[in-house]
Amino acid sequence: MEIRHNDLKQVIMDTKTLPTLPGVIIRLNALSEDEKSTIHEMANIVTSDQVLSARILRLANSPSYGFNRVSTISNAMILLGVNVVKSLALSSTFLEIMEKNSLGLWEHSLGVAAAANLIARKLAMPECEEIATAALLHDIGRIVIGLKCSKESEQIIQLAKEKQIYLSEAERQVLGADHAEIGGWLAKSWFLPEKLSDPISFHHDVTLSMNHRIKVSVVQVADVLVKASGFGDSGDNHVPRIQQEAWDALGMTELLLAEIIEELEEKLIDVKNFSIEMQT
Amino acid sequence: MQMIPLHLAAEGMVLAREVCRSDSTSNVPICGKNVMITSELIRRFDLMGIKSLYVKGRPIVQEGQPSLETMLKDLDCRFNIVRNDHLTMKVHEIYTAYLKRSMGDDCGN
Repeated sequence: MEIRHNDLKQVIMDTKTLPTLPGVIIRLNALSEDEKSTIHEMANIVTSDQVLSARILRLANSPSYGFNRVSTISNAMILLGVNVVKSLALSSTFLEIMEKNSLGLWEHSLGVAAAANLIARKLAMPECEEIATAALLHDIGRIVIGLKCSKESEQIIQLAKEKQIYLSEAERQVLGADHAEIGGWLAKSWFLPEKLSDPISFHHDVTLSMNHRIKVSVVQVADVLVKASGFGDSGDNHVPRIQQEAWDALGMTELLLAEIIEELEEKLIDVKNFSIEMQT
Repeated sequence: MQMIPLHLAAEGMVLAREVCRSDSTSNVPICGKNVMITSELIRRFDLMGIKSLYVKGRPIVQEGQPSLETMLKDLDCRFNIVRNDHLTMKVHEIYTAYLKRSMGDDCGN
C-alpha cells in the first residue's frame, strides 16, 4: 500500500536512526566559514578523529579522486584546499554508512564518482572534486529507503522485477517518492550546498536543476556509463536514459564519449581493487 | 586489458600498464606500458617481487570469465528499457565496439 507522501517524509526524517554527519564535519564547516580560522586549526579538528582522517587520506589517494601521495591532513589542506578536504570528509562518511549496508551500491557509487571525475576533467570543468563528491552521494536515497522502509524495499524490488521497470519508478509506485527525492531530503537535513544536493535530487531529470545543470548532467552521464558497464550493483540493472538536455549541457560528442568509456574501463579496474582493499 | 599473475605471463604479450616495484611506496615505474614481454623481462620482474601485470587484450582464459557472447548479451539486457532511445543507444554501440575490441574480436574495429 502506498504511504502518503507527507507521512513518508515524516517517517524518513523524524527518527533517531537517520544517518547523521559526524561533529567533526559540522565543526569543520563552521571553522571554514570563519575568516579568522587558520588551516592549522582546521587540520587539528580533522585529525582529532583518527578514523575519519585515515579514511579521508585513503579516499584522497583512491581512483575516484586520484590525488597521489597525499599523506597527512595538513598536507591535504594545503595541497588540495579546505573545500576538497570537506568534500572528502563528507564522502568518507557516506561511504562508511554505505559500506555497512550495501557493497554493490558502494562499488556503484565509487564507480560513478570516478566516471564523473573523468568526465569533468575531460571537459576541463572547475571543481572536479566536488562533482566527484556529488556523484558519490547521488544514490544516498537508496540507503535511506533501505534503512527506513525495509518492508517496502522488498516490494519495490519485486515490482521492478515483475514489471521490468526502473527501480525509481517502482519506488514512486510503492512509496510515492523515489530515491532521488528522498536523497534530496537527507541532503537538506545535512545542510549540503545546492551544488551537491541538486545532483542527488535531479540526476534522473536534469531539467529540474536551475542553477547546477552542468554538474547534474555530469552525474547523470556518469551513472549511465557505470550502469552500462555493469560495474557494481545499484539495485537497478537497467541503464537509465541520457537526456538530450544533459548531452547538450555538456557539449558531449560520440567521439568524446568513446574516449571517456575507454579510459573509464581502465579506471574501474582500479576502483574494484580499491574497493577490495578497503574491505580488508 | 587483463590483470594476470606473473607466472601466466608469456613472451609476446604486451604491457597495458607500467609496472611499478611492489615494495616501493613511491610507485616508481620499472617498465613502461606498450612494452612487449620477453622471458628475460619475466625473470627480472620475478626477481623484483612483481606478482601480477596488466596486459593488453585478454590472452588468458580464466575460470568463470564470461565469453564475449555472454558479455554482449548482458549488455543488451541492461539496455532493454532504452532500446528505442537513440541517444542512450549510442552508449550501447560504443560499449559493443569496446567489448569486441578488448576481447580481441577484429569485427569491433
